[in-house]
Amino acid sequence: MVAEGKRWRFAMVCSSNMNRSMEAHSQLGRAGLDVESYGTGTHVKLPGPSLHEPNVYDFGTPLWGHLRRPPPQGPRPVNSNHSKSFEISVSLFAMSLCGCRTGYKRNGLLPMLKRNTSVKLAPQRWQDNAGDGVFDMIMTFEERVFDLVVEDMSNREPRLMKCVLIINMDVKDNHEEAGVGAKLAVELCQKLEAIDGDWEDIIDDLITAFEKQHKRRLAYSISFY
Amino acid sequence: MLAARNPTPPPHDIAARLHHLRDLRRVPLPNRVARIADLHTDEASPVRKLVAEIIGELGSKHMAYLPNMIPCLLHLLNDETPAVVRQAVKTGTSLFSKVLQKLVIEGLFSTGGIDDALKSSWEWLLKFQSVVSHMAFQAIGNEGVRLLAVKFVEKTVLMYTPDPNVPSDPPTETTEDMGFNVAWLRAGGHPLLNVGDLAMEASQSLGLSLEQLKSPKVKSLSTSMIIVFVTSLSAIAQRRPSFYGRILPVLLSLDPASSIIKLRVPGAFHALKSAFSACLKCTHSSAEPWRARLLETQNIINQGDSIEDAANAAKNFGDTSNREESWPLMERSTDGSNKRSLAEDMNHMTEDDLHSTKRARQSFDANEHSEGSNKRNVESTSVDISSSQPSSIRTGNSEAVYQLIGMFAALAAQGDRAAGSLQILSSSIASDLLAEVVLVNMQHLPISRPEVDQQQLPSTSSGDGLPFSSFFSLLGTLLKRANQIDQDEVSPAKESAVVSSVADDIMTVPASSPVPSSVNLPIEENTNSPTVPLCIETTDAKVSSAGGNSSIDIPESSEASHASTEPQGTQEHASTFFGSFPADNSSAGFSLAQSSETRSPSSSTVEANHSQLSSLSSQYVLPKLVVNNIDLSDEAKDLLQKEAFVRILESDKQEASGGSIARLLLLAHLGVEFPLELDPWEILQKHVLSDYANNEGHELTICILNRLYREAEQDQDFLSSRTATSVYESFLLNIAENLRDMFPASDKSLGKLLCEIPYLPEGVLKLLEGLCSPGSNEKQDKDIQSGDRVTQGLSAVWNLIMLRPSNRDRCLELALQSSTHHLEEVRMKAIRLVANKLFPMASISKKIEDFANEKLNSVLEVIPSGDSATTEMATPEAHKDVGLENLTASVSDVQTLMSLYFALCTKKHSLLRHVFAIYGNLPQTAKQAVHRQVPMLIRTIGSSSDLLGIISDPPADCSDLLMQVLQTLTDAAVPSRDLISSIKILYSKTKDVEVLFAILAHLPKDEVLPVFPSIVNLPIDKFQSAISRILQGSPRNGPSLDPSEILIAIHVIDPDKEGIPLKKVMDACSSCFEQRTIFTQQVLAKALNQLVEQIPLPLLFMRTVMQAIGVFPALVDFVMEIMSRLVSKQIWKYPKLWVGFLKCAILTKPQSYGVLLQLPAPQLENALSKNLTLKAPLAEHAEQPNIRSTLPRSTLVVLGLAEDQPQQPAATQAQSSQNQAAETSSSAADTATEVTKESSAAS
Repeated sequence: MVAEGKRWRFAMVCSSNMNRSMEAHSQLGRAGLDVESYGTGTHVKLPGPSLHEPNVYDFGTPLWGHLRRPPPQGPRPVNSNHSKSFEISVSLFAMSLCGCRTGYKRNGLLPMLKRNTSVKLAPQRWQDNAGDGVFDMIMTFEERVFDLVVEDMSNREPRLMKCVLIINMDVKDNHEEAGVGAKLAVELCQKLEAIDGDWEDIIDDLITAFEKQHKRRLAYSISFY
Repeated sequence: MLAARNPTPPPHDIAARLHHLRDLRRVPLPNRVARIADLHTDEASPVRKLVAEIIGELGSKHMAYLPNMIPCLLHLLNDETPAVVRQAVKTGTSLFSKVLQKLVIEGLFSTGGIDDALKSSWEWLLKFQSVVSHMAFQAIGNEGVRLLAVKFVEKTVLMYTPDPNVPSDPPTETTEDMGFNVAWLRAGGHPLLNVGDLAMEASQSLGLSLEQLKSPKVKSLSTSMIIVFVTSLSAIAQRRPSFYGRILPVLLSLDPASSIIKLRVPGAFHALKSAFSACLKCTHSSAEPWRARLLETQNIINQGDSIEDAANAAKNFGDTSNREESWPLMERSTDGSNKRSLAEDMNHMTEDDLHSTKRARQSFDANEHSEGSNKRNVESTSVDISSSQPSSIRTGNSEAVYQLIGMFAALAAQGDRAAGSLQILSSSIASDLLAEVVLVNMQHLPISRPEVDQQQLPSTSSGDGLPFSSFFSLLGTLLKRANQIDQDEVSPAKESAVVSSVADDIMTVPASSPVPSSVNLPIEENTNSPTVPLCIETTDAKVSSAGGNSSIDIPESSEASHASTEPQGTQEHASTFFGSFPADNSSAGFSLAQSSETRSPSSSTVEANHSQLSSLSSQYVLPKLVVNNIDLSDEAKDLLQKEAFVRILESDKQEASGGSIARLLLLAHLGVEFPLELDPWEILQKHVLSDYANNEGHELTICILNRLYREAEQDQDFLSSRTATSVYESFLLNIAENLRDMFPASDKSLGKLLCEIPYLPEGVLKLLEGLCSPGSNEKQDKDIQSGDRVTQGLSAVWNLIMLRPSNRDRCLELALQSSTHHLEEVRMKAIRLVANKLFPMASISKKIEDFANEKLNSVLEVIPSGDSATTEMATPEAHKDVGLENLTASVSDVQTLMSLYFALCTKKHSLLRHVFAIYGNLPQTAKQAVHRQVPMLIRTIGSSSDLLGIISDPPADCSDLLMQVLQTLTDAAVPSRDLISSIKILYSKTKDVEVLFAILAHLPKDEVLPVFPSIVNLPIDKFQSAISRILQGSPRNGPSLDPSEILIAIHVIDPDKEGIPLKKVMDACSSCFEQRTIFTQQVLAKALNQLVEQIPLPLLFMRTVMQAIGVFPALVDFVMEIMSRLVSKQIWKYPKLWVGFLKCAILTKPQSYGVLLQLPAPQLENALSKNLTLKAPLAEHAEQPNIRSTLPRSTLVVLGLAEDQPQQPAATQAQSSQNQAAETSSSAADTATEVTKESSAAS
């Protein structure tokens, strides 16, 4: 039987498209899968002037484009109202980049940004990129994100009548867990792509088996393009 | 034509055929349709699928051809390839909506009626619809197809029913984007369609769909089908609220309580959950009645969730917090105002006295802006409250709350009569429930307070127990200060301090007057901020709860507020309020302008003020204070912030003793809020450490760490939580390091701190490790690492193990690591802790035991076994320097590994067996180490039953160890009866007499004697020690054998019978003679005296006699007596002894002459013939007259003193006896010479 689309198209979604989905994007990409990644949050956050005040950027801002350039050309956060805030963010950014503060070295920001440079230019927002086309499977890494994606999909008028599988796997938002989660995502996606026939028939078994094997809880939903 | 020119490629070339099919698009329409009709039965499924797709493309553009194509589509629905069927359904779905739309519009607007093609297409499509519907509701083979079929049904239901969002009156003219609503048909006049019929059909389809989700059908559905049905139905419910009443009961019946879905993949459950939350958002009136039930079900789902989460908490910690977070998020989206949900409010109040800046940030939205810029827009706010609150109540007991409110209302309606019952009711309710009742009821408060309330306000409020009077006085001073500033600096604006002030100004109250004038005004304008309304009142419904804030906050916040130089522009939400204060200085009022949504230090504290004030007097209007605004440079702002911060710290320092908890909280909070680059943490850290012991350093640290921990855990944002975590860790580590260095080792601060902080990061554990196992990582200051430090570290670890179960394993690791430390001092301390304190803890004893066991066994692995271990020491150091040093070093190494195990043995004796078991395989060094440690161990244990068990049944190859143990056990202690019997058992098994040594002294005579030959058989040194043990005897019974008995025992051994070499026996004798202090003259005499009576005479008797004389010459007389007794016993009949006898006689001449003369003549002759030298002196002796007279003639003849009377028989007899004697002498010659040698050696 000839499968409908031999190649699956995957979307990895987390809240900021900075860490978990980006890691998954990177790993799936390396595994040769067709993948995009998105975030569902309203903004992208980076450490800001105070512990409590992250700098907030719009999705689409190339946050790591300047990694090779000197810091003053760093991206401008949307929540900076005067130059000071901007400078702080830039200096902090610079500091984090050279890892001269132990804190940033430890919090994994630098390796994260470095990884992201190799993936794509800027974080993208799920809701704003409906035009990216049809995915076969959307993977989310947090229940809240899952809900948002499902909601967003149900708000779109179904035209193509094309099924899309949405799977959630909770992954804690830190550097190490993102790596672990991404590995699992690769495995799951490869399993899906390897399905001979219709995934609809065996998805329950596949999910259950995966859950058992990896001791992870998955939730899935089906939406229509 | 074109198709004819390009004939269809052969069937096997699917790619080419697909290409061909795509090319068809260029073919003129009629032909194309014909070709398609041909191709729809093509063999290759991709081709058929493409056909289905092309039908869709073509059909939507050229509806005229549809009647020809839809039959093909219908045919394709029965295709065997699911992909083709799916495509057919997809195509059909889109065609269906297009055709229906066109049909409706044409029927309504076209004057010429509906063209036939359309009619016939519609008929075909109806057939299509019935087939697909059938697919949706029957379990068909392919799930993917069925999903689409369900979707198709959803589409038809939606199409057939009026859309409430599109005007139900048909548009007057057809436009492109006019939308579609079947309700247009109501206008009537459509020749084909009737809105009623369509609705009926939709209703039937819906009914069938719902049927699928009811038991028992739902049980046979797969998860994906359930998901699609649920989402599809919820979509219908949302878009067609009129169906709410039919759909929701079914969905609600699926809730986890009925556990139909719960058991399956969480996906279905999740779909249901999101369906519910989506339905909740529906604002249509039909949805309204379902809200309560939806909320309730949602509650149940959430509770179920949280129970599950609790179960998974350890695993998915972050996950839990995420789920919790997702709720406020949803509420926020429905929440129009900055009101918090009640439940949240409640949590919040209990959780933190300050405010949660996080929520403040969240609740800020654009709505606030518009609201803020609308002057006096109180109305809208309050409307928001009432509309938003019901939906945001989600506490578990909301039901009860509403019931209670009902009761209260009923009682209140009765007026004064029910006052008593009211009181009883309110006093009988739990306080938290009552609080909730009050809070929920707040929404019913009238917007403006009745006059009566206003007047009564102070009294009613004070009834709540608030320190109202103090608050008034505080407010008074506040006002005075404001007044001063007013006069000093802003006098120009004073007159304008009335209600009609400039709306664009935002002011903060410089409440604390000692602002250095050089720093300039602590007030600034923020031009970006929205205009600030002169609000009549703050509509906070949290009067009573907010009032719970301690009024201590006020001085703090007022101090802090002068640092409020930076109202954060974009987040500015100035909910200004003011009230006239009923005090004497009301003329000089002020207005508090605050940015309640900012997260600057000022805002947080001002908000504390805010809630205070609002709780007090919402209605009092204070005249406004107008101040000039000054722009500060960024540097100046930084400076101000920093100075303000330092100032708080300073005041904290001064007020060392009376520091309040509020201040600690404040400082912690400021740390979080402060710009990172100003490094509040370092400042705080210095402050904490400046006077840790006396100035609540501990409390402040705990406070700060708790705060940071909360940031890290609560904020799900990866970066900020990570930042908080790293600040937490470095802050804690710095403090801990400083505590270690600042205080003496006896100080308990560090331990206390580590016990109370939220969690232990790895860095601190490393620090502890450094304390407990000095030198193991990095370089350590030598002076720090005294033994006391180790004690400090270990006691901290012990505390942590006791108090922090979650860190127990890791801390135990530290303790264990320390217990194998190479320094004995460190090791012993750790071992004491582990063995005495930790090992008795049941939960970890196994771990400790395993560890010790592993270390013990590692001795076997590390050093190759075998006797040559000393040389074979394969450890690296063996190569470095070989020799004695190496040996001792490795013994101590081994000891390092083993001592913990030995310590555990003292607590758990059964562990000992393993030591014995592996002993045989231990390398030499390890054995040495064992021997070093065993005595102490055994002394501690004593003869426990486990040890006795081992003794009576020891593992192989451990005799050395066993001997040591036995020795230790009996050293200076009377062995117990059990021990003795165990050892006897052991002896009976091993037949190794050495094991008896330990108890030899304690055995009775009759038990010693049987084993005596074996003792004699031992090497001489062991024999000697055995003798000494026997002689030593037990204190109670004395020695079981006295020395003479020992001698006798030696002599009675029959070497042949016992299988013991004679040499051994002789050696034993000799060794006895060496011990002259024990084997004295008397002892010998006694022994000889008894021996001579033995029959037969002991073999070595004569030898012993000679040795006795050699040692004690004074015994000679006694010996003569013995010898004469021997003569009377006819000693010559024992050839071996006879030789000895003669030797002895020679040895003891001249005393022995008398004895010799007693011999009968033949024997005498025999003797003399062997010892010719003897004859002359003996004859001389015999010649003495007094002797000669006593001698018989035969003797004299032998001596040559009398003539021999030839007497044949006698001569023959003599001859024969001579021969016999010669024979004897020759046979005993060897023995004799040997005896001579021995005796000479002995003497």
